[in-house]
Amino acid sequence: MPLLTHSQDDDEQYVLVASLDNAEVFQEFTITEDQVGLQINLTVLQDCLSIFGGSTVPGGMSTTLRLCYKGYGYPLTLFLEEGGVVTVCKIQTQEPEEPIDFEFCCTNVTNKVILLSESLKEAFSELDMTSEVLQIIMSPNQPYFRLSTFGNAGSAHYDYPKDSDMMELFHCTTRQSNRYRMALLTPSTKALALSCKVSVRMDSRGVLSLQYMVRNDDGQICFVEYYCCPDEEVNDDD
Amino acid sequence: MNCALEGNCIKAFGKAIHALSRIGDELWFDPTVKGLALRSVNSSETAYACFSFSPMFFHNYSLASDQATKPIRCKLPMKSLLPLFRTSITNERNVERCQISVDNPNDRVMVQFFCRHGITKTHNLCYQESSPLQAVFDSHFCPNVLKGPARLLANMVMHFQRSQEEVTLSISPLRVSLRNFSEGRNEHVKMYTEMSLHPDEFDFFQSGGDSAITFCLRELKALLSFAESLSLMISLQFGAAGKPLCLSVEDTVLEATVVLASLNDYDSRGPPLPTKTLEPTMSRCTDATARDNLSSERADMEVVPSSQGSPTGPPESLLLLYNSKHLQVSTADVTSSSPASSMICSLLFRASSSERDDENCAASVLACDSEVEEDEDPGGIAELSSPQI
Repeated sequence: MPLLTHSQDDDEQYVLVASLDNAEVFQEFTITEDQVGLQINLTVLQDCLSIFGGSTVPGGMSTTLRLCYKGYGYPLTLFLEEGGVVTVCKIQTQEPEEPIDFEFCCTNVTNKVILLSESLKEAFSELDMTSEVLQIIMSPNQPYFRLSTFGNAGSAHYDYPKDSDMMELFHCTTRQSNRYRMALLTPSTKALALSCKVSVRMDSRGVLSLQYMVRNDDGQICFVEYYCCPDEEVNDDD
Repeated sequence: MNCALEGNCIKAFGKAIHALSRIGDELWFDPTVKGLALRSVNSSETAYACFSFSPMFFHNYSLASDQATKPIRCKLPMKSLLPLFRTSITNERNVERCQISVDNPNDRVMVQFFCRHGITKTHNLCYQESSPLQAVFDSHFCPNVLKGPARLLANMVMHFQRSQEEVTLSISPLRVSLRNFSEGRNEHVKMYTEMSLHPDEFDFFQSGGDSAITFCLRELKALLSFAESLSLMISLQFGAAGKPLCLSVEDTVLEATVVLASLNDYDSRGPPLPTKTLEPTMSRCTDATARDNLSSERADMEVVPSSQGSPTGPPESLLLLYNSKHLQVSTADVTSSSPASSMICSLLFRASSSERDDENCAASVLACDSEVEEDEDPGGIAELSSPQI
């Protein structure tokens, strides 16, 4: 059940996909058709989900959610229960827009690494935010995997060697260097914060795919996928 | 210049940068054969700090560069360097080694961290070439000297409110006390705090009589925080009100000095409660504008005539008002935009230039008696005999 959100402006393109691939994540999952598509306002959904305060304190009271959809023309209904209190939210649905297809397919992937999130979290928390772009270099040779920023103070580079114990998988075939708008990448840091592992892939066009593996409290796995186009302005090999 | 730091030294270096960031917004980076000196001065030129690291502090230290040119002396914005040395980053569990180099082909100050898991973080920082900053202050002539563990003073200052800007340090042969200082602008002093210590509490105590000086607490706290983290002793040397206060911390491989201007308080032995109004009053810690009624205080000003022949009297810019036979004053390179009041004593900081300005060379500023040796020093720095600032 992929949940998809995307932002589309002329030069700002990224897609964030939260995908609950594993039906076992749900205690109950029933679907009568092959595929159901609907569109709702994300902010409204967020507000509804956190109607009980949205506290993530472990050991605190947890909220139970039941999502129901009768079909086209009906609102998406959320039943939220916490501590005996039930809230019903009915969210107006919209005609689903055709999502941008980044046409990112595995066969086109030139470089791929899987990193433990811990190290990437550290890097992202230290990134120079005065830089407009984040440059990512993936290469079978030095520097292997590099994140670079070009801010007001100067440039900064974070290098991960291929044999680092933070590097679970290193599979780079050709040297690629691409720059991505920092503003487009920052939304993905929320998923990074929740994740335990990240897969970073680049295809031949330089489109970046970040897949965050999130383990929930019950040990269930879900993935958040993120796609971002390279910044077209500057795209030289450095 | 190329140097490497390991283990605890990275943390100490980071703490030095933190302390310097509480003094000023720019960091002067000065590698010499004697070691690396980091300096800063505040915008009103009333506080100066210098942290010197001897070559022994580093895992390795070399000035040699490929081109065999003079080492680059420069200044960097504090906000470029400070985030690199956040405590979480310099934690010895995270960083194994830190390498700093200037004179590299990139024309940047390169700070490289070799972290656990094989991760390398490289920062190339833009700098501005600059002559080294130097304050001239001879603490040898200070009649009052206090030396003790930094913790002792830290325990004294912790009792003051965080918002407390200035404090008055009083000394007499029988006691040392620290009290909060409030200028007349605060009509109602909400809380009056005074801490007193017996001379025996200090490892070294010397009092030249009764005196009291008022200075900014912020910079004292900056140095105390550094000294405490390394469990070092701190020494305070000062004279009468209006004379600078010199704070220093020393170790076998590093030295830190902070020189603070003090308020020229005419009533330094006034009642403990700060009820009197100093006129004209203004905080030294912020940029101030001159007051109109300076003329009445002119007689009490200790002004050394400007070498450029400008009239004595209310200085046009923040000038040295510290009377010493060793010093001459020039307004040559003073860039502060805040005129001084007679109530303010400050230190003049002039970057000594490697290329003498011909117009001013006749009265080189901040030259002490050792100026004759300046010719031997290609950097043109007026070095003090002591302390090693």
